[in-house]
Amino acid sequence: MIKVKDLAKSYGQRQALKGISFNVEDGEIFGFLGPNGAGKTTTLKILTGQLTADAGEAKIMDMDAMKKARELHSYIGVVPEEANLYERLTIGQNLELFCRLYGCDTKSTDYYLNQVGLAKDKNVPVKKLSKGMKQKVLLIRALLHRPRILFLDEPTSGLDPASADTIHEMLLRLNSEGMTILLTSHNMEEVDKLCHRVAFLNQGEIVEEGSPQELKLEYSNKRIRVLIDEGQGTVSKELDLNGEQSAKILSQWMAQGMVRSIHSCEPSLADIFVKVTGREFS
Amino acid sequence: MTLSIKRIGAIFIKELHDFKTNINILIMYVIPILLAYIYDNLIPGMPEGFALSFGLLFLVVMVGMYVPSMMIAEEKEKKTLGVLLLSPATPAEIFIGKGLLTFISVIVSSIILLSISSGNGFAHLDVVLVGGILTTIFCILVGIIVGLLSKNQMATGVVGTPIYMALLLIPMLGSMGSSTLEKVAKIFPTYYFNDMLYLALSGLEGEKTLLDMMPQVGILLGSIVVAFGLLVLVYKKKGLE
Repeated sequence: MIKVKDLAKSYGQRQALKGISFNVEDGEIFGFLGPNGAGKTTTLKILTGQLTADAGEAKIMDMDAMKKARELHSYIGVVPEEANLYERLTIGQNLELFCRLYGCDTKSTDYYLNQVGLAKDKNVPVKKLSKGMKQKVLLIRALLHRPRILFLDEPTSGLDPASADTIHEMLLRLNSEGMTILLTSHNMEEVDKLCHRVAFLNQGEIVEEGSPQELKLEYSNKRIRVLIDEGQGTVSKELDLNGEQSAKILSQWMAQGMVRSIHSCEPSLADIFVKVTGREFS
Repeated sequence: MTLSIKRIGAIFIKELHDFKTNINILIMYVIPILLAYIYDNLIPGMPEGFALSFGLLFLVVMVGMYVPSMMIAEEKEKKTLGVLLLSPATPAEIFIGKGLLTFISVIVSSIILLSISSGNGFAHLDVVLVGGILTTIFCILVGIIVGLLSKNQMATGVVGTPIYMALLLIPMLGSMGSSTLEKVAKIFPTYYFNDMLYLALSGLEGEKTLLDMMPQVGILLGSIVVAFGLLVLVYKKKGLE
């Protein structure tokens, strides 16, 4: 669905992208994880035809994303990082504008507004909405023409957990209906929860790529942490994940009823990022 | 390039909704009506037709340029233009949709101005409309150029004010007797609109009809072509971001 090869982009002396390559399959949720300034938004802007790369190629549905940007606009939806809505207009007026531009039925706005719980606020001016409500309107705006691919730049940045959950649920539902989704985030839990595959972007380079589970298994120290009750209190012990010695000790503790809990010591995506890049994830 | 009436209509409707709630822009329409009223009723000894001429010139020049420049600069500032360009709307459709609202609102306001001013302005409706329409189109094109050259709404003041003042004040001053100023004023297309209004409304030049004003009409038409060419050049150089 999306094929990117050796994509490079500089702003003056600063290299924002240093020749990145990746593919996104049809029906996949693909996440770009990286700190601010890593090149996530630049990649998204090139893919959506808002920027031209200095070198490399970016193809969406086998069409050149830079040369065929206008043709591709009917197939893609974009949720930008900034809430670029018309503040003086109501939610309904904002959405109806895009319905008219895309030639779709203005009644379709009601369907989506109901899904995110904003139907009763249709006539409220956007300037009176909370950040979470604006983000939901941005998402609906990107969906009105039923795109095949959805691009989201930091979709839940700065949102309260309830609003973030609503957006996550909607994205998972859209994906289950067949929509391909590419999102950027610096929220590792979000990426872990939503994405089939992720790429770590650091200083314009993809430094690691894979499914969250694969990455966590690959970078796991292959140990488990066991909380046991030794009579005087609960203590934490670490054992190898596999091996006769671990099995023997663990079975003894289990037989004696000492085990309170067992945790795998697999790293989080943020831990893996630090391990791969040597940089704090912030 | 094909233009979609539906998409132009969509931009127009959006601008209409926005227009109704945008106090900064609405106030611009009140100023020329207020000025014409003051000149007409509160200042004694004003020449015949001056209040209406001034009001019309202010309306067509200031509002015609200010409104589209602000519309475009605001879209750039609030990054809404980027998302419009991700839709099927083309830059030409966006400009036409925005310009159309300015055009219609200026012409409607001109009629209101005619109806509230003293004198027999409606007797010269053809002159007011033809001159007003052509000058408004010219001014809208200049306003779009100012919008394209400005990063944000604040910058439209820096970029636009010298242009607005030149196009509004120099033609007015040029028509007040100084031959040097008149020579300078003749560079500006708005001088010819002012001249048309003077010929029709002052009553000092005998009975002049629209047919007597074809040179002025020709110059205004030529100015539109030049302004359009300049707009294309600026758009190609600056784009919409």
